[in-house]
Amino acid sequence: MRRRARAGSERGAALAAALVALAVSAALVAGLADVVRTEIILARERRAMVEALAAADACIAQSLTALPVGWDFEPLLLGPDGARSTPDDGTLATPTGCSGHAARAPGTPDPPRVLLAIDALAGEGRRLLEAIIGRDPAPASPALLWTTLPPFPDAVTGMMVLEGADVDPEAPDLPGLAAPTTPTELDAWVAAEGSHVAPSPRTPAPVQAPLPPLSELATRAEAARPAGAEVLVSQGTPPSPPALALVRGDLVISDARQGSGLLLVEGALDIRGSLDFTGLVVAAGGLRIAEGAALGVVGALWLGEPGAPGAPVAPLAVAGRLALRQSRAAIVTADGLLALPRRAVLRGLRDVG
Amino acid sequence: MRSGAQRGTALLEQLVGTMLALLVLGTLVAVVGTGSGLLVAVAARGETEDTVQLAVEALTFDVRRAGYDPAAAGVPAVSEARTDRLTLAADLNGDGTVAASSEETTAYVCALPAQQLSRIIGRQSLPLAGGVLACGFRYLDATGTPLAVPPAGLDVPDRSRIRAVGLDLTLRLRGTPTTRRVVVALRTSP
Repeated sequence: MRRRARAGSERGAALAAALVALAVSAALVAGLADVVRTEIILARERRAMVEALAAADACIAQSLTALPVGWDFEPLLLGPDGARSTPDDGTLATPTGCSGHAARAPGTPDPPRVLLAIDALAGEGRRLLEAIIGRDPAPASPALLWTTLPPFPDAVTGMMVLEGADVDPEAPDLPGLAAPTTPTELDAWVAAEGSHVAPSPRTPAPVQAPLPPLSELATRAEAARPAGAEVLVSQGTPPSPPALALVRGDLVISDARQGSGLLLVEGALDIRGSLDFTGLVVAAGGLRIAEGAALGVVGALWLGEPGAPGAPVAPLAVAGRLALRQSRAAIVTADGLLALPRRAVLRGLRDVG
Repeated sequence: MRSGAQRGTALLEQLVGTMLALLVLGTLVAVVGTGSGLLVAVAARGETEDTVQLAVEALTFDVRRAGYDPAAAGVPAVSEARTDRLTLAADLNGDGTVAASSEETTAYVCALPAQQLSRIIGRQSLPLAGGVLACGFRYLDATGTPLAVPPAGLDVPDRSRIRAVGLDLTLRLRGTPTTRRVVVALRTSP
């Protein structure tokens, strides 16, 4: 009986000890699990917040890229119908996953700017941002050659030389080609042209860019009392000062000419001789360079606009030689003659929620 | 005899049982102690990470909106740039001014003697993190090159070159120190 009693007492102590140990262990594990669970929830929340923030930033960046270059934001504020105080005012084209709306920024209208409200969703996160969009104060071309249509296959049967580096060491290298199509397609075009297109090592790859606003540029040039093709003087004569030249219709260069400033051709620019130009050359009707002919531009070249008078079937046909070299100073000079359109840039933002 | 043998066996059994119990108890105490230590360490690490993350999030929030200037009044994003102190400005209500006593002016101060990183809004100083072992701000230009910061801080021309702000923060509340090096880009264009 005593053995049974002692045995029973020992069993009881062991059971109690085991239960206490189990309870302590369970409490520890529960505490640990709670800490870990809390940290996991916090990490998940933070990840959702960061994803939504990144989505909102991406939305603004893509919306900015899609905004047309220009001088102000009136087209955006008036909406697709171009009329004030209508429901489509401020309609903003945004990528999937976010929505946005444009409104006038407070204060004076100058400098031109617009207030964007962006609502971005990503996973379980959502962010609301307000962004101030303005125009780049510095005139710039997105590339040495900016076209409204991607170049056609075999557009260059002669030679096109692209030098994206500037003599100004402060100037960033400029891409060789910009057009409203994907960089992949532009890369494919450059590759397909083979040795006919020769970008220098410092010429960045082609970039996607919205249409150059050539119609409005021509309208503004008309109002600025431009000169004509006479500013293009014969090569070998003393260079004339930079000038704004507007040529209505096509311009055919059949001898050797030179000029500087801003040359705007409303039709096609047809090079049968040679032309050296420092500044910005705009050919709304496209560019043709005959075999044996040459065009050299130190600055930038803008081509074509679908739907415009004299719009080209093909914006570019180079059987001769086309040489383009970046010069920020030449573009600034051209901008001084006639204000060039500016790209939209982010001027600031704030997180609303 | 049987009775004596039974007692001797019981004593031996008790001694062995006691030793085994002590062994088990000691193991249990060690396991519980280790578990408790682990729990404390995990909680401390979590708290440290949370504190650092909150500081980084606050800085990110403020740097992103620095220079917000809807009225185009010429609000500079950074009004003070030192290695231990950063002051950001934003016209949040669009009235064309930056109020020094509101959230439109936000400063971050690394106070190493007090082992503290603070966020100062107007006259309110809010401690963001304690246990700060190292803390400093860096300023990068458009090419990502760090700007050399003199003891008196960057002057106005150099502040206008700032395109991103970096924070290097090491703190230890308990246990292992945690270090974060973050760079937040200003959302304003020059």
